[in-house]
Amino acid sequence: MKVSDFKELLIRSLDKESDSEEACRKIEEAGVTFNFRDGFRDRVLDKIYFAGNAVVREVEFVRNLNHVFYRIALTGVAAILLLLISIFLMQGSISFNSFLGLGDSYDESIICLLTGN
Amino acid sequence: MIKESYKQKDDDELVMSSLEGDKQAFGEIVERYQKLVARTVKSMLGDSVYSEDIGQEVFIKLFYSLSDFRGEAKLSTYIQKIAVNLTLNEIKRRKRFFSMFSQKGNNEMHEFDVPDYDNEEKKDASELVSKALKSMDPKFRMIMAMRMLQGYSTKETAEILNLPLGTVLSRLSRAREQLKTILGKL
Repeated sequence: MKVSDFKELLIRSLDKESDSEEACRKIEEAGVTFNFRDGFRDRVLDKIYFAGNAVVREVEFVRNLNHVFYRIALTGVAAILLLLISIFLMQGSISFNSFLGLGDSYDESIICLLTGN
Repeated sequence: MIKESYKQKDDDELVMSSLEGDKQAFGEIVERYQKLVARTVKSMLGDSVYSEDIGQEVFIKLFYSLSDFRGEAKLSTYIQKIAVNLTLNEIKRRKRFFSMFSQKGNNEMHEFDVPDYDNEEKKDASELVSKALKSMDPKFRMIMAMRMLQGYSTKETAEILNLPLGTVLSRLSRAREQLKTILGKL
């Protein structure tokens, strides 16, 4: 196939209406191929079945970690919400001092304590 | 060597056998679909050791997710989706790497290795496609690879790339224009 014809074929293969399978076949016939090196299958199987135990352990670990993380995250969010609600009910507001367990009246005594004045 | 009987099994049977621990059955899946994966990975990443690594990763990921494969889609589509996702992740990783160490953030492709052909015309064709792919914008390159080298329809391309059909159609039309410009210069 001439270079100009091949260029035309490539452009036509991207037409909406073109038969993509037919174009693909012609392009392959023209010599465009992509392959992995020989022995690819064996290298994949070696990785899976011989080095596989390590990979399995790694996959299992990540899967378990994800599982545990979701549980911890959900429990954590629930605990934080409960804490916020209880602070709001007890202190009447959610200020920074309420988080620290300090009432506004303690401010002056803390400044006195820290500065000595 | 894969036994002849495995070659006659269909994809579902091979998946079932692989799940039962049959190494030869999974070997046949690799044999059957390695070309499909090579086309996706190498057309996007160029010909490098990284492409082969990604190719291997596709099948390793497939192996560990075989139990999730419900047979609703074709096995080839399932494998293609894994290949596309891993390839796009690799492109993103390379972009981050290059933008960290170089101003040429978009130079994420390796050189293509054009195989030795005894036929000059075939060599020209292969070189032409390699150069065109290298010059394309990555988002058009994927559309071009799926359509031109894999023969997927527009609908299948949209499904695999997880994009709306309209987006694929507009990218296809822009890819065509870009390809025309690139080929005009080659």
